[in-house]
Amino acid sequence: MRLFDWRWFVVGSALAVTMAAKAETRPQYGGTLHVAMRAAPASLDPADNSQPDSLARRSLTMLIFDTLVTTDDNGRVLASLAASWQVSPGNRWQFRLRRGVRFHDGTPLTAEIAADSLRAANPAWNVATDGDTVVIERGGAGPELLAELARARNAIAKRNADATPGGTGPFHIVDWQPGKKLTVAAEEGYWRGRPFLDEIEIEMGRSFRDQTIALELGKADLVEVAPEQVHRISLEARRPSSSLPIELLALVFSRDANSADDKMLREALALSVERGSIRSVLLQGTGQPAASILPNWMSGYGFVFPSDADLARARHAREQVREIPRWTVAYDGSDPVARLLAERIALNARDAGLSLQPTAPSATATAADLRLVRIPLASGDPWIALADIAALSGAPPAKPKNSSVEELYAAEQSMLATQRVIPLFHLPVSYAASSNLKNWTTRSDGTWSLADSWLGSGKP
Amino acid sequence: MGIPNIISISVNRVLRTERCFRFAVKVLLVLLGMTLTTRAADWSGPEQQLARKIVAATGPGAVAVTFENRSSLGKRENEIVQNGLRSALESLGIRFVKVEQAAATVVISLSENAASYVWVGEIRQGTGEVAVVMVSAPRAEGLTAIRDSVPLSLRKIPLWTQENPILDVAVLEEGATPTHIAVLDPETASLYRMQGGKWQQEQTLAIVHARPWPRDLRGRLIPARDHLLDIYLPGVICHSTASVPLTLNCSESDDPWPLLSGPLVSGTLNGGTLSVFPSAGLGNGASTVVPQISAFFAPTRNFFTGVLTPGVGKFTTVPKFYSAALLPREKYTLWIFAATDGQVYLVDGANDQAVRLGWGSDLGSVKTECGAGWQVLATNSGDAAGDSVRAYEFPDRDPVAVSAAVDFSGPVTALWTEARGDASVVVARNRDTGSYEAFRLAVVCSR
Repeated sequence: MRLFDWRWFVVGSALAVTMAAKAETRPQYGGTLHVAMRAAPASLDPADNSQPDSLARRSLTMLIFDTLVTTDDNGRVLASLAASWQVSPGNRWQFRLRRGVRFHDGTPLTAEIAADSLRAANPAWNVATDGDTVVIERGGAGPELLAELARARNAIAKRNADATPGGTGPFHIVDWQPGKKLTVAAEEGYWRGRPFLDEIEIEMGRSFRDQTIALELGKADLVEVAPEQVHRISLEARRPSSSLPIELLALVFSRDANSADDKMLREALALSVERGSIRSVLLQGTGQPAASILPNWMSGYGFVFPSDADLARARHAREQVREIPRWTVAYDGSDPVARLLAERIALNARDAGLSLQPTAPSATATAADLRLVRIPLASGDPWIALADIAALSGAPPAKPKNSSVEELYAAEQSMLATQRVIPLFHLPVSYAASSNLKNWTTRSDGTWSLADSWLGSGKP
Repeated sequence: MGIPNIISISVNRVLRTERCFRFAVKVLLVLLGMTLTTRAADWSGPEQQLARKIVAATGPGAVAVTFENRSSLGKRENEIVQNGLRSALESLGIRFVKVEQAAATVVISLSENAASYVWVGEIRQGTGEVAVVMVSAPRAEGLTAIRDSVPLSLRKIPLWTQENPILDVAVLEEGATPTHIAVLDPETASLYRMQGGKWQQEQTLAIVHARPWPRDLRGRLIPARDHLLDIYLPGVICHSTASVPLTLNCSESDDPWPLLSGPLVSGTLNGGTLSVFPSAGLGNGASTVVPQISAFFAPTRNFFTGVLTPGVGKFTTVPKFYSAALLPREKYTLWIFAATDGQVYLVDGANDQAVRLGWGSDLGSVKTECGAGWQVLATNSGDAAGDSVRAYEFPDRDPVAVSAAVDFSGPVTALWTEARGDASVVVARNRDTGSYEAFRLAVVCSR
């Protein structure tokens, strides 16, 4: 009689355990991915400046369109629709287009279409064509052009007669209900290779709460997570993924400081905000307290701007002023934590002897003295990000001469000195995904990339 | 007299030994120093720049300096930079003192951003405002750290590393180690020869293809008998000429890919059977006769369609699969397919069986002198940061793990059995560097 062999039992037990794991590591083709998002863009045109910029909108753009170049997580520029480029004296950039690329309607990508697209996004640029190359001439110094071209807003679009923009990206549009729903399907002949997913259905205008419920019910595979919910989601093992801090939460004044008193009061307000405790309590540990516009990972010097509250200095500054105005601060009413943040900031301000009144958004928002805003940084390039914040806040634009880190610091310092912006936090953008969704990544700019994603349960 | 003499000789010997030892230690230290110096980045430029900026603010004199490392610099590099900055400051007239004795205090932070290191000096003099100076220093190109292999049953031998995806590596010639290799990436096949201890590029051949490649591109380099190489890619097959300088003739083709690779022994094609892995096993040189099987690869996907030619016994189709391995038995050959549905199919020609083993998508078989003589190398499954590969044997239909898992620093993107048959080529994408690293994975008998 053969005796029971314990070695086989051990091996069998080990195999039984591993059998419970998923047995798939190579990507599978097929399936429909369901995504939910809070933003509700009314247009898919990358160059449509009437639409608010958001990371979600950028993510959508990069599903359908391509840019001339892209950047990796280290800021290195990579070829995309432009196969090569060269710069000549006078800041004349010439981009040779990749051959064989077609728009989703079958039209070949030409230099003329690419130039038209860039002109639409940047009316001030001098864009021309020379054979199969696109020529961009930019007089004077400015933010790095290549990083600018890598932005979603500069994606190459062919504007059709019906106003729908056509792209060369990994997915083509199947159904588009502005502000509500977008369905895209894999582009079989995509020049970088067909995506693994067959389709992506994107529900727009969904609150964070609705998105979380949709994920729990299996109705969504990829959802956004509010900063204050990241900790809870991770405790529930729902695979949240966060980017580097890419959004600036800040107080933005609606006008310049017009007197010495005004400047003193703004300084008092900046010194009064207890960022540390706000982060711990309201943001549940998410984000980085900030007194700089650029996050440290982008500038390398963010820590030299002290972000700790200094109530004594705040009171001292306030005491230099006789009459204290009653400021109103508007916040985004659709963001549940924004009201709490605004109220907490008002409380801190009161401790310093200031008067701050949070107001509901809508009609009064335009009349508010300050806005509590979340600003997605425009690019991983610090100069572009700084210039974008300057444009949004009404501060003078940063103009680099040699793009050194010391010059960047000086530019940021002078922008802060205008006191139009009081930085509060640098926030990451966070997502949660179902266990089915594989190989989805959050780029360093906070957008998601789904061209290489696949569904574990999809059928090839 | 004899004793003192002995003592004298002994003492002299001891002294000579000590001198030799000291000399050896000095040589070692010099060599170590040289090694450290050559491996370390040259920080002197930014060190001098920052020192000059600090001294421009403080002037020469008594200064208290503290350092903070806020970057990813390691301990050794951190110390090197700190020492360099101290030297640079001293050479400009700075005297290091305690805070109480200092005319100025300087906090030097070694920070970084996405593109470079950023070194910041925060200078306080009296009760005045803090002056901030800074410089940036380019990041040193990191040396790719290759972890030692686990000296158990599987040995991981680095073959090649590059930024572009590696689809396959073929060892064309070797002595004690490979001396001539071919590396396949999506657009080229490159030949490298080891000369003077370094790989020298011999030739790069462009792969011509009209259609875009599918994602998760896969490809095979298969040494051929009457010419150097055949290259199999989805929808494209290339044949090289026989000798260097090579030319490559690529054409669109849906022809099946051979599941067994290698320069098959001359004249072994006999009634549909082939000797495989004639060089494997090393000891007796005996080859194993098994049917050669080819499989059709989906031209726009990353898997085999499941259609086999000529088939395994009565089975000419199996489920779509990513990879296959074989285990010759006395009277039949057991084929193992890693299917796209996550199951592993065992097909012996008369029966098939689907099992869930918790394996990944890539597997291959090797013929060795260890254990049962044939092992299956299989990737693991799941979402771990890195993949691993482990060797299994199939005494019957159930696998038995016969080696420790060998870890890779990222997902395994290719695992193909080498032509010699006793090892596999494994390609993994390093999660830290993003580079693709190809290894030979050899089974070593541990007893």
